[in-house]
Amino acid sequence: MSIDLNLTEEIVARVGRKPEALIPILQGLQERYGYLPEDALRRVCERTEIAPASVTGVASFYDMFRLKPVGKHIVRVCTGTACHVAGAERVEAALRRHLNIPSGADTDRDGEFTVEQVACLGCCTLAPVVKIGEMTFGHTTPERVPEMVREYLASQNGKKMVKSTEELSISRAGGAEIHVGLGSCCMAKGSDKLFHALAESASACGGSVTVKRVGCVGMCHRTPMIEVAQADKGSTLYADLTPAHARALVQKHFRPRGFVQHASRLWSRVLDGLLLDDSGEQRGVQRFAMSKRDPGVRAFLDKQVHIATEHFGKLDPLSLDEYVANGGFEALRKCLANAESGKRSADQDAVINSIEKSGVRGRGGAGFPTGQKWRVVAQQPGETKFVICNGDEGDPGAFMDRMILESFPFRVIEGLAIAAVAVGAHEGVFYIRHEYPLAVKRVRAAIEQMEKHGWLGTKLMGTHYPLKLSVFEGAGAFVCGEETALIASIEGKRGMPKLRPPFPAQEGLWGKPTLINNVETLALVPWIMRNGAEKFAAIGTTKSKGTKVFALAGKIKRGGLIEVPMGTTIREIVEEIGGGVADGRRFKAVQIGGPSGGCVPARLADTSVDYESLRDLGAIMGSGGLVVLDDTSCMVDIARYFLQFTQDQSCGKCTFCRIGTKRMLEILERLCAGKASRQHLEELERLAVQVGAGSLCGLGKTAPNPVLTTLRYFRDEYEAHLAGRCPAKKCAALIKYSINADCTGCTICSQHCPVDAIPMTPYSRHLIDDVKCTRCDTCRVVCPNQAVEVK
Amino acid sequence: MNYAFSITIDGRAVEVQPGESVLAASRKLGLDIPTLCYLEKCGPLNSCQVCLVKINGKLVPSCGTKAAAGMMVESETTEVHEARRTALELLFSDHVGDCLSPCQRLCPLMLNIPVMLRHIQAGRLPEASATIRQALPLAGVLGRLCHHPCEQGCRRGQWDDPAAIREMEKVITDWERSSGYSPSGKAEGGKRKAETGPSILTPAAEAKTVAIIGAGPTGLAAAYYLTREGHAVTVVDRRAHAGGSLRDVPSAQLPAEVLDAEIAVLGRMGVEFKLGAELGNPLTLDGLGRGFDAILLAVGELAKDEAAELALPMVGAALRTDPNTCQTPLEKVFAAGSCVRVQKQIIKAMAEGRAAAECVNRFLRGQAARRPEKPFSSIMGRLDPAELKAFIRNSKSGGSVSPCDRCAGHTKQEAAAESARCLHCDCHSSGNCVLQHYAQVYGADANRFRSERRKFERQVQPGGIIFEPGKCILCGICVKLCEMAAEPLGLAFVGRGFDVRVAAPFDDTIERGLQKVADECVAQCPTGALVFVENGEH
Repeated sequence: MSIDLNLTEEIVARVGRKPEALIPILQGLQERYGYLPEDALRRVCERTEIAPASVTGVASFYDMFRLKPVGKHIVRVCTGTACHVAGAERVEAALRRHLNIPSGADTDRDGEFTVEQVACLGCCTLAPVVKIGEMTFGHTTPERVPEMVREYLASQNGKKMVKSTEELSISRAGGAEIHVGLGSCCMAKGSDKLFHALAESASACGGSVTVKRVGCVGMCHRTPMIEVAQADKGSTLYADLTPAHARALVQKHFRPRGFVQHASRLWSRVLDGLLLDDSGEQRGVQRFAMSKRDPGVRAFLDKQVHIATEHFGKLDPLSLDEYVANGGFEALRKCLANAESGKRSADQDAVINSIEKSGVRGRGGAGFPTGQKWRVVAQQPGETKFVICNGDEGDPGAFMDRMILESFPFRVIEGLAIAAVAVGAHEGVFYIRHEYPLAVKRVRAAIEQMEKHGWLGTKLMGTHYPLKLSVFEGAGAFVCGEETALIASIEGKRGMPKLRPPFPAQEGLWGKPTLINNVETLALVPWIMRNGAEKFAAIGTTKSKGTKVFALAGKIKRGGLIEVPMGTTIREIVEEIGGGVADGRRFKAVQIGGPSGGCVPARLADTSVDYESLRDLGAIMGSGGLVVLDDTSCMVDIARYFLQFTQDQSCGKCTFCRIGTKRMLEILERLCAGKASRQHLEELERLAVQVGAGSLCGLGKTAPNPVLTTLRYFRDEYEAHLAGRCPAKKCAALIKYSINADCTGCTICSQHCPVDAIPMTPYSRHLIDDVKCTRCDTCRVVCPNQAVEVK
Repeated sequence: MNYAFSITIDGRAVEVQPGESVLAASRKLGLDIPTLCYLEKCGPLNSCQVCLVKINGKLVPSCGTKAAAGMMVESETTEVHEARRTALELLFSDHVGDCLSPCQRLCPLMLNIPVMLRHIQAGRLPEASATIRQALPLAGVLGRLCHHPCEQGCRRGQWDDPAAIREMEKVITDWERSSGYSPSGKAEGGKRKAETGPSILTPAAEAKTVAIIGAGPTGLAAAYYLTREGHAVTVVDRRAHAGGSLRDVPSAQLPAEVLDAEIAVLGRMGVEFKLGAELGNPLTLDGLGRGFDAILLAVGELAKDEAAELALPMVGAALRTDPNTCQTPLEKVFAAGSCVRVQKQIIKAMAEGRAAAECVNRFLRGQAARRPEKPFSSIMGRLDPAELKAFIRNSKSGGSVSPCDRCAGHTKQEAAAESARCLHCDCHSSGNCVLQHYAQVYGADANRFRSERRKFERQVQPGGIIFEPGKCILCGICVKLCEMAAEPLGLAFVGRGFDVRVAAPFDDTIERGLQKVADECVAQCPTGALVFVENGEH
C-alpha cells in the first residue's frame, strides 16, 4: 500500500526536526494516515535529527500509536475503575460479538470496526462508557450495543455532524441566561445537542435570553443539566433534559415577542400540559425542575467548598472577560508587581512564603508540600528554568483534572504563571493526556486568547516578565504522570522514569531545574494569593489544608465531581453527598487513590480524608478518584483489575515492576479462576511487599497497594476464592446462572441471550446451557420475574 | 563540596570522592554487590535492580545512588539479599533457555558435551580431548561402559535419534591412544611438550597427602580429582593391578589395554599406586593416619566380616558416614562408593569419588567438608514442536551416523558428522554469564515463579551473531552503547511493560543494527542473549 509521503514532509516542516519533535510528529502522522506507516517513519528519520531507534522505541511505547492500519471506525471501550465495576467487560464482549471481531484480533475481517480498550475516558459517572468515533455513549449495557452501533452509523451516513460547541460567538444579550454544562461527560449525555436546541429555540423566541456554555456543573448523575438564571425570578435547575424539551422550556420561561411565536407558545404550553410522565405525577418540563432547596441537591452541595472549582457552573470556560470580571488574574498581577526577568525580587519570595504558609500540598497524589517544592526550584542556580502543569491524569476512575482544565483553563494558566514568576521560569508546558481532547482544545484556545491580548509571550500581563506557555499532548502512557517519565516524554523519548535523586527540581527538563505541579494544585494557587494563605489554612486539618476535589463514582446514587474540605469523612462523602449505594445494596468499601491507592472498608468509613489518615490505612489520597463499591463488587476482582492496569501500564524498565507485577497478576488470575492454592496466596503477599520495596519509581512502588489493602481488610474474600467461591458473584469462573421456578416461560431471556444458551420453551420454565453461558448477565437483567439466579 | 568524605557500609567506614556511587564505595571495601545492567561507560541504567542496598529504610539501586556524607548503607543483610535474590528469580521467571544443556545436567560428572561435540565437529580433537579430560576420570572406560544418561536427555532424541555422545568419547580416547597423544598435563622432563594437551592440573595450594584405599572406579576418580587439586595421592589396593571391579569386565567390552592406558594417565598425573597391599596387618588405619593427612576408604562392596575388621561404625553392611561430608566418625577418615551405598553404575560410583574428593579437598584446606554444589542452571523444559523444528533447521539433518567399519568405530569424519547433529541447546555464555553467576552465589531458585514461558527463539545471523531474545534481561547496555556510538540503525526497546523486547528498528536484523559496536555489545551482554557463533556450529 503506497502512501502520500508529502503529508509526512508537511508535518515535519510544521512541527520541527529536533529530537523533541518526535511525539508531535508521530501524532501528526497518525492523524493523517490513521496509523504510522513504516515508509513515513523512515522518511521522518531521513528528514530530521531523530534516530531510527528513537522512532521505533517511542512509536511502540505509547498507547495511541498504531503501527498497523485500523478499521474505518474505532470503538473505544473505557476500562476505568468505575466502568469496570459497572460491567465494561460484558459490554466489550457484546461489542466484539456484535461487530464480528475474531478472538485475538481487534478489527473485523472487513476492516470496518476496530475495538480497543482505553485506560480511562474520564466519564466515570456515566460508566460504563464507550466511544464510537467521536460519539460517546454512557450507561451502556450489552443489550444496548446494537442500538449504539446503529445510532453511530446513522450519524455517519447522514453526515449529520454534531455542531461544535467550541467555536461559539457568544452574544451577550444581557438579562436572563440559560447555563448549559458543557464538560465532556455532559456532552456524552447529549448536553451539546441540548445546547444547540436551546439556542435555536431562544433565538426563535427573540433575543431576550442568552444560552451560555458553562463548565462542569458537578452533578454528573443528573446531566444534561441546565440552570435558568433570571434576575427577577432567581434560578431554576433542570436535570436529565433532552433536546426535545428545549422549546417547551424556553417558552415556559420567556415571553416571545411576535404574535406567531406567542401563539405557538400558547399552543405548546397546552401540549406540554398534556404530557404525563410515567408515574403520572408531574407534568411537562416542570417534572425536570429541581430547586436548590431540594434535599438531594442540598445534601450534594452543602458540604462542598469550592476553591479549585470556584464559580462552578457559572463561568464560560473560554470567556477571558468573565474570568477577569470574577477576580481572575488579580493574584498574578500582584505577584508580578516588581518581577523582572533575570532578577529575583523580594516579592517572588513573598509568593513562595504565602504558598508555604497556606500549607497546600501536591494534589497529584503524594502530597509533597507545594511551597517547599517551589522554594527548591527557586533556589537552584542558573537562568533557565521550567514550569510544567501535570495534566496527565491517568488514574482510572479520576477526572478532576480534566474537568478543571475544561471548565477553568484561565485559572490553571494563572496558577502556572504565578508558579513561573515565583521560581523564575520563563517557559511553561501544559502536559495533557490525549484522551482529554476537549481539555487540550480549551487550554490551547485560552493560551491563544491571552497571547492575542498581549498577556502571554514577551510580556506577561503587559509587564516586562516574559513567559511562554505551550501545550504538550500526551500519547497515552499512565507512567508519564510520574515526573521523570513526563519529562522524558516531553523530550521526545520513551516515558521511562529515572532514579531520583536528582529530582526534577534540580535536574529536570533538558537537565534544567523544573517545577512540576498537578492541575488541581495550580488551580488552588490564584485563590490562595487572592484570599490569603491564612484563609486557605483555616480550611482542613492540622496537616492537610484546604480542599480536595474528588471524582465520586461507582456504586453510588449521586455521582459527580465534588470539592470538600480536607478532614471530611469518607462516610460524609459517600452517604451524605453521594446519597449512599443503591437501595437494597450494602456499602462495602471505597477505592481511593486509583492504582496506587487502596480499598478502605465501610467499617473504617469514619476516617477523615487527609493525607496521613489515608496513608495509615494503606491507601493514599491519590489524585482524587473515589470509587464506591457495594456488596456486588468482588474485592479480589478489584485487586486483579488494578494489577492488570499497572501491569499493562508498567514502562518495562525495572525488574520488579516489569516481571513482578506480571507474576502477581498471574496469581490473582488464578484466584479469580478458583485455581489458586494457599502457597499462591502466600507468594502473592510476599511478592507484593518485595515489588513495593524494590521497584524503581512510584508506579511500581505503589502498584501492590490495591492487593495489600484488600488482603488486609478482605482476606475472607481471598479465602473464599481459594475454596472456589466468589461471595460477590462476580468472578465468571466461580458462578453459575440458573432459572428458578418463578419463570413464567415468557421467552424474553431466550430472545436476549447473545450466545443462544437458553433454548426457547414458551410457557414452561427455561433452562440455561451452562457450557454455552458466558455469564454476560443479560438474562438476569431482562427477566421480568427475577427468576434468574446466580450461584 | 569537593573534598573526600566517608560513608558507612555494614558498619565499615569507607572514604569516597564527591560524585562517587554507593556501588563504587562498596567495591572499595571489597564487597561483591551484584550488577547486571551497570557498565561504567554507560552510567547507571537502573533497570535490573539487583544491586539494591538499603539506605534510610529504603531499598535503592547502589549503582545510581550517589554517596553522601554520613550515609549509612546496609548491603550484606538478610533483607537486602532476599530482595536481590527475588530480582534474580523474577528475571529467571522470564528467561528462556538452559544454562546447561539437558545432556550435561544429566551427566553425573557434568561433562560439557555440547562443547566437546563442537570441537569434534570442527576437527579439533586435542581440544575435544581436553574438554573430556577436564570432567571425566578414566574417560576411555566411560566411553565404553557408561550407561549414558546424557543420551536419554538429548533433545535431538525428540526428533530422531539422540546424538551418540558416549561413542564420541570413545572416538576421542581411541584417537588419543592410537595417535600417541598424551592427555596428561604433566610434562616429562619438567617441560611441557608442544604435542601434549592443555594442562588439567590446578596448582597446588599446599601439598597434602591422601591415602585412598581401593583402586576401583570410586577410588580412582577420587585420586584423579584430588591430584588435580594438587594433593599427593597414594592409592592402595590388595589386587596386583589397579581397576577394582573394572578388571572383572569382559575384555570384549573393556580391553585391558584401554584400562591400563587410563591408569597410566593417572600415573603420569602423579598418582602413586601401592598394589597388593591389603588393609589389615601391617597396613592399619591408625598407621595410615600417622603417615597421611587424610584417608579415603573406597574399598567397594563389603562383606560382613571385612567390615568388622575395619572397626568402624556400620549401618548394615555399609560404613556409616555423614552424607553431607563423606566423613566417618574417625577424624580424617572418609569413605565413599559402594562401601557406603552400593553403586550399580560406574559413572555414579565415579561421581561419588568426585564428591568425596571435594570433601577431602575442603577438609585439607581447612574448610568445612561438603559435597560440590550443583551448578546453577536455568531450565527451559520440553520444547514444543515448533521450537524443536527451529533447532533442527540449524543442525545437520538425518538420524545417527553409523560407522562404515563397525569394529574400528567412527572415523574422524564420521564423528564430525555425528557431532554435527547436536542442536547446541546449551547456552554459549554458561560459565561466563553474570546472571548465572549471581544466581549461584545467591542460591536463587530459577523456578520460584512458575508460569507459562515465552517461546524459545534463536536468530542466527549471517555475520556470526546469535541473538536469543528470550535470554535478554532488558538491561539496556546494548541499546545505550548503540546510542553512544551513533549507530546508523542501532537497537531499541520495542513495546512497553512485560512485552518490551530489544530489537533493531523497523523489524530489521540485529546485525544491521550493530554495524559499529557488535563486538562490544556481545562482550558486555550480561547473559547469553548476544553471542558469537562458535566454530563448529551452524
